[in-house]
Amino acid sequence: MRRYGKIAAFLLAVTMLAGTAGACTNSNKASNQTTAAQNGTAAEATAAATAPVAEGEYDFYIFNTKGENADALQAAVDAYSAKTGQNIKVFSLGSGTNASDALNTEMNSENMPTIFSIMNIQELKTWTEGGFALDLSKATNSDFKALVDAIPSSLYLTNDGATNYGIPYNVEGYGYIVDTEMLADLFGADTAANVLKDIKTATYTEWEALIVAIGAYIKDGTAATVTLSGNSYALAAQKGELASKLTGVFSTAGSQTWTYGDHMLNVAIDCVFANSAAAASATPEQLDLLKGPFLAYAKALDLKTTYAAGADGALVRGPEFINTTTAGYDAEVQLFADHKAVFMKQGNWVYGNIQKVNADIVDTLTFVPVKMPFTDADIQVPGMTVDSVSRSIPVFVPNYYAINAKSSAEEQEKAEAFLVWLNTTEEGQKFVIEDMAFIPYNADPAVTKLSNSLGQSILEYMSTKDTVTNAYAGAPTNWSGLTVGQKIMENYLTKEAWEEQDYQDIADYAIAQWKDMAAS
Amino acid sequence: MEKFYKKWFLPLALPAILLFVGVILIPFLVGVLYSFTGWRGAYFVGGGKNPFEAFVGISNYVKALHSEKFMNALVYTLKYTLIATVWINAVGLCLALLVNKISRGAGLFRTVFFMPNLLGGLALGFIWSFIFEIVYSKFVFGVDGLIHIPFLTNMTQDNTKALFALVILVSWQMGGYMMMIFVNGLNGISQDLYEAARIDGANAFQVFRNITVPMLMPAFTITFFLTLANSFKLLDQNIALTDGNFGTRMLATQILRTTRDTNPPDYGMAQAEAVIFFVMIALVTLLQVYLTKRKEIEA
Repeated sequence: MRRYGKIAAFLLAVTMLAGTAGACTNSNKASNQTTAAQNGTAAEATAAATAPVAEGEYDFYIFNTKGENADALQAAVDAYSAKTGQNIKVFSLGSGTNASDALNTEMNSENMPTIFSIMNIQELKTWTEGGFALDLSKATNSDFKALVDAIPSSLYLTNDGATNYGIPYNVEGYGYIVDTEMLADLFGADTAANVLKDIKTATYTEWEALIVAIGAYIKDGTAATVTLSGNSYALAAQKGELASKLTGVFSTAGSQTWTYGDHMLNVAIDCVFANSAAAASATPEQLDLLKGPFLAYAKALDLKTTYAAGADGALVRGPEFINTTTAGYDAEVQLFADHKAVFMKQGNWVYGNIQKVNADIVDTLTFVPVKMPFTDADIQVPGMTVDSVSRSIPVFVPNYYAINAKSSAEEQEKAEAFLVWLNTTEEGQKFVIEDMAFIPYNADPAVTKLSNSLGQSILEYMSTKDTVTNAYAGAPTNWSGLTVGQKIMENYLTKEAWEEQDYQDIADYAIAQWKDMAAS
Repeated sequence: MEKFYKKWFLPLALPAILLFVGVILIPFLVGVLYSFTGWRGAYFVGGGKNPFEAFVGISNYVKALHSEKFMNALVYTLKYTLIATVWINAVGLCLALLVNKISRGAGLFRTVFFMPNLLGGLALGFIWSFIFEIVYSKFVFGVDGLIHIPFLTNMTQDNTKALFALVILVSWQMGGYMMMIFVNGLNGISQDLYEAARIDGANAFQVFRNITVPMLMPAFTITFFLTLANSFKLLDQNIALTDGNFGTRMLATQILRTTRDTNPPDYGMAQAEAVIFFVMIALVTLLQVYLTKRKEIEA
């Protein structure tokens, strides 16, 4: 019996050894994928999505840091591979995962990605310093050069205004998402369309009155009359089916500093700086001009967070407002999709998330601009007025495809051909528009029609030119969400009542930190 | 058997030695080299792939030691380590003493106390995040809860409270592990000593102080070493519980985030911080082992 025990133990050990040896002898290029996923913290590893990998040789490698289109990009690559017979490796990071550690690892290895993602001009600094970002005017493929020349200069990924380093993924926009069915329930089905139109052009005073009125309506059913763009509308005397579910006016994600530190703050920055390049080269005197817009931002944030919706009733500013467990991104989407809030400040990227929670609501969604109490003195950008900002939503390119200048000429040529296919052919565009649910950057608002309600809403704003940019991307790295947003979360979102001094402190802190971080 | 191991020592030990050299020693040495260069992750300042062209001397170390964030993280980690080391060992020892006193079900209790150790740091952080934010803050210690203790509410939203929250979390996780070490140590104490003490009329406290503790010194060496080293290196639980918010960033998190705080990412400075980290932990733990080893008694 003991002899058999020894033999059994020996056989098991050999089997285990053979198993580990077999798993280790993977193709060198394929093994990079799992190591890239395991780099970074454990938190990021669990969030990373791994795409199926090509065994053996591949023609070129795409490193995609925009997690939302991971599956669709793989599908597009598969279709292109089937067409051309090329073998392409795609790796996508999980949505919200920080890209730099994984991308740096890949860039250090022998198998560098030929196409990789760069988010904005702050990230561009790293890749130009290292010589990885290819100046697209130096590309070899002629169709690609035509594609590059057609990109409008306002969408360039550039640090000097002239050299373009990236092909935009898409354009995105954000604002207050509202369900037109909810508006119909609040104001009556026949006036809902006019209400929506007038909210878009309303002034901040009218907006504030609207929020307060809806807040009172939710609390005790007082059906006041509101004025929007000069026209009066009355709230329905009896609460309708959807309106009775409301617990607050806004759905917020208190623990996610980027929602109020990046995107909401951006609207204020857009008043002073026309685009991210202008913000990146700001002088201290120009930064002082931000005081007025930031005060307006603080007041608008105060209004928004005072009328926030919670799971069972109104969510008051306090410790619960910033809990990661109850005040996160998913909770925000859930509350809105369950009709517990009227407005949710998010972008068209959230379409898929809303659809998963409540597929019925997605067809009637639209954007309303983020309003702030700006005055004429606050606006510094030529051609902009308080009125035009009030009706506009920020529309911008969130991410760019960049070509690795250190890849072989052959790989670069193939990668360029793929990008041409993706952005100019009908087949490629179908993947972009339908599978990825993106708004193509080269979409003509006059002729394009999207099935995605939020995308369609953005196209409408683009066609009437009621857009502003993402100037906050030019601010120092980590200034917006991780510094200003952090400060607001830790000190103000837990405070029940804000005073005039709090607005001043927020504005002063934001400007001081920008100056500090830009200098270092 | 001795002859077998003596003959086959090298082939048997070689895989482990190779792994250690390849996965720990070489990357460590390369890292120390890179800490003296302007390393940016994918390239070295100047654009090259050659570290020797980008030497910056000790400037990374100077930057790291002058960095306010690094110093705050260091102070916070020291505070945490002080409290955690004492508390975890106390918990482990108490559990071991308790478990040793019972005759029936000792095995079951030991298993149950040890099980939290099997959970990964990240899962623990999320579970306890829920417990601190919802269970403690609302149902048990909240204003409408069973008993209102303000200190135990919203523990993840305050610098000091989060310290104790982390201590609670880690002692729940590590207590069982320390308990096992102490149980082993307790079982190694000869019963003759206790009998002799009883005959001499010593009370329980005197027995504990004069027999149990000195005889447990070898176990204390191990447990202090483990808790000291693990407390300094704490990462997963820190990120999962507070993600460094409210000034609760500990050293390991700070090193990790250095590459995100700087643009272009300053991997050279992060590496310098890591080397400082290593030297500090090595000094502290080696000192501790030396001190406690001197107190060990051969019975």
